[in-house]
Amino acid sequence: MNDLPKQEETTLSFEKIKKDILHPLQNHKGLELWIVFLVTVIAVCGWAYIVQLRDGLGVTGMRDYVSWGLYIANFVFFVAVSLVGMLISSILGLLRIDWITPISRISEMIAVAFVAVSGLVIIMDMGRPDRVANVIIHGRFQSPILWDITVVTTYLMISLLLLILPMIPDLAICKNELKKASPIMKKIYNVLSLGYINTPSQHKHLHRMIKTLMVLIVPVGLAIHTVTSWLFAATLRNGWDTTIFGPYFVAGAFVAGAAALVMAMYFFRINYKLQDYITDVQFDYMGKLMVAVCLVYLYFNLNEFLVPGYKMKTGDDVHLKELFTGHWAVLFWCSQLLGNVIPIILLLMKKFRKPLPLMLISIFVLASAWIKRYVIVIPTLLHPHLPIQNVPENFVHYFPTGIEIAVTVLSFALALLIITVLAKIFPVVPICEIAEQRGIEVKIED
Amino acid sequence: MKNIYQLLTCLILILSLSNFTVQAEDWGVPSSAKKKHNPYDANVKNISSGKKIFNINCKTCHGDPGKGNMIHLVPISPTDIGSQDFLVQTDGEIYYKINKGNGAMPTFEKTLNDEHKWMVITYLRSFDKSNRRSEKLAEVKNPEVTDVKLDLEIQDSSKYILAHLTGMTKKGKRVGLHGIEMSFLVKRNFGYLDISREDAYTDDNGKVETVFPYDLPGDREGHVDLLVKLTDDAFYGNLEKSQIVSLGVPTIPVNPLDERAMWGTRANAPIWIMVSYIGGVFVIWGVIFFVLFQMIKIPRLAQNKE
Ligand code: HEC
Repeated sequence: MNDLPKQEETTLSFEKIKKDILHPLQNHKGLELWIVFLVTVIAVCGWAYIVQLRDGLGVTGMRDYVSWGLYIANFVFFVAVSLVGMLISSILGLLRIDWITPISRISEMIAVAFVAVSGLVIIMDMGRPDRVANVIIHGRFQSPILWDITVVTTYLMISLLLLILPMIPDLAICKNELKKASPIMKKIYNVLSLGYINTPSQHKHLHRMIKTLMVLIVPVGLAIHTVTSWLFAATLRNGWDTTIFGPYFVAGAFVAGAAALVMAMYFFRINYKLQDYITDVQFDYMGKLMVAVCLVYLYFNLNEFLVPGYKMKTGDDVHLKELFTGHWAVLFWCSQLLGNVIPIILLLMKKFRKPLPLMLISIFVLASAWIKRYVIVIPTLLHPHLPIQNVPENFVHYFPTGIEIAVTVLSFALALLIITVLAKIFPVVPICEIAEQRGIEVKIED
Repeated sequence: MKNIYQLLTCLILILSLSNFTVQAEDWGVPSSAKKKHNPYDANVKNISSGKKIFNINCKTCHGDPGKGNMIHLVPISPTDIGSQDFLVQTDGEIYYKINKGNGAMPTFEKTLNDEHKWMVITYLRSFDKSNRRSEKLAEVKNPEVTDVKLDLEIQDSSKYILAHLTGMTKKGKRVGLHGIEMSFLVKRNFGYLDISREDAYTDDNGKVETVFPYDLPGDREGHVDLLVKLTDDAFYGNLEKSQIVSLGVPTIPVNPLDERAMWGTRANAPIWIMVSYIGGVFVIWGVIFFVLFQMIKIPRLAQNKE
């Protein structure tokens, strides 16, 4: 996997790499418009959140039975997407796979944005967000909620460090090159670059730190999504009460994360004119990686549905029939086929691993991944062990209200805004690592 | 589309109901079955045990015999099986119906044994005004008494409980009342536990005893609420006597929240989960802080450009 094709060996100089990668940071009008658009969306949807804050969770579609609705499904989705940071820059990075160099920073930016917002989503799901500190003050060690809050913050911290540390050499370059940057930005570059001038001892020291964090994030990354799955699997509910939920969620997270990364890669390649860096090779490998993670996920899905479906034990039967042929069948089969089976088949062919087709397939995969989380969370709550009796009509069904949808859109806008701002102030492709990889000498002045 | 479904459901309902009615009219008791005789005597003992069985198994639907207070079911409500209209049937016929069931009437072929079924029939027969058999055979011949009293005598060491049922005759003499069934009950969390021995009928002196179970827990001091009463209120009304006795095994109540457990409070979390959590947080954040601390070194390393 380590052989980059010959055509890659273009005559790139360090100056050209710097120019190519830093250029979009200062001269990109479209990006500013996009930020304005996102801020508008956030303002409008933020109003919906204010309404929820004012009137309470009664404005959502959640009632006594479905007490975890769109928000929690969305939370699981966000955590899942954020796992791409650990997959690409840590697991593949530790394996010294070199095609990931140009995309590792994008994956880390996605990780930071999505895990940060996932924490916010949980808070948005609280009727009294001012009580969030009670989880820490009164939290029980036995409760998966305490563990979840802990791993989410820990993963955010390590992801942030894994975004910033490998970027230190590039930040030193930014400090020197971006003359037009605002004084605040100059200050940020100055502080964050930590006086790095690429001496051999600095280089060695920095890489030892990065290595440590790359190892550290693997268990934490596994933990964040395993603990998220325990929020479900630690209950006795049909559809959640299963032993494979941890690895099942992790596998699903890799699928969602890979799809999100492909979309971001495509966006930056086109918008930042990075065709020389994020090349067809990266897309080809991402396509193959997607097949691999989809196959693992498919395998877990087989276990997750075939085995209980064969037994059809009481309780599970209602749940499974609703998924397979009942009320949830369309969503369920869409997520399985469009998000898993068909992508595997298509991506086995080289022509579908070209940037545009792969990006289009990734949209389906990502949308299906989102739907899949919805189908995991809500149907189970609608099938409690004791029959639903003598309750108001709106307890029996669940459909998200406008407020809920708006707040969910808000979370997406926030995540996109974080990624955009990061990509606006930091180089999205690692300059120094690319140069080193291609045998070009890195020069950073004092 | 919806209308068609509604129509179909209505049709199915009507069909099944009419089918039900047809069945309900027809018990089809074979004539050989009608000839079967009740092999048990109509004595007080049998009647009262029949009453017990009836109260447990039949009363919920049929109500009290002769009172017509059965529950109302569609299409056919249970019969008042203490009414004269019903009791014209032979013992064999009733026996057959109890065995087979019909419609909402469940079958008792397997749920009640033969003896119990006949006891119930004996009990029902006691309401039959045209049948004098039960009176003829009645065994209880206690004198007419007033001021019936129930006294308890308890021996803590042998856990022996003696109930003494007496009444005052017209001549002013207190005599024991015999052949009366007594229930010995102990209050538990959800109702009463029956600790009477079998055939707990008073003897000729009006006495009946039982032994308190050796393993039954009481409170810290071994106290339990004992209730002794006449099983059947038909003779002397609802006579009962309750008393706190210290016959139980002294038991210190355990609060499940007091032990270390997954369901416990935070202070009572299992040690292993606290160690895993705190240990994990310390190790991971320790490494994070170590790395943060190492970052300070980078500016210093800029000086030595070897
Ligand atoms: C679930 C309610 C239910 C219970 C419990 C029940 N029955 Fe019935 N029983 C019925 C109904 C309803 C009918 C009327 C059925 C019919 O006529 O089709 C009936 C009919 C009968 C009949 C026939 C009445 C007649 O008119 O010939 C007898 C005898 C009878 N029950 C005895 C008993 C006895 C004895 C028990 C208890 C061991 C008992 N049932 C418990 C519901 C019940």
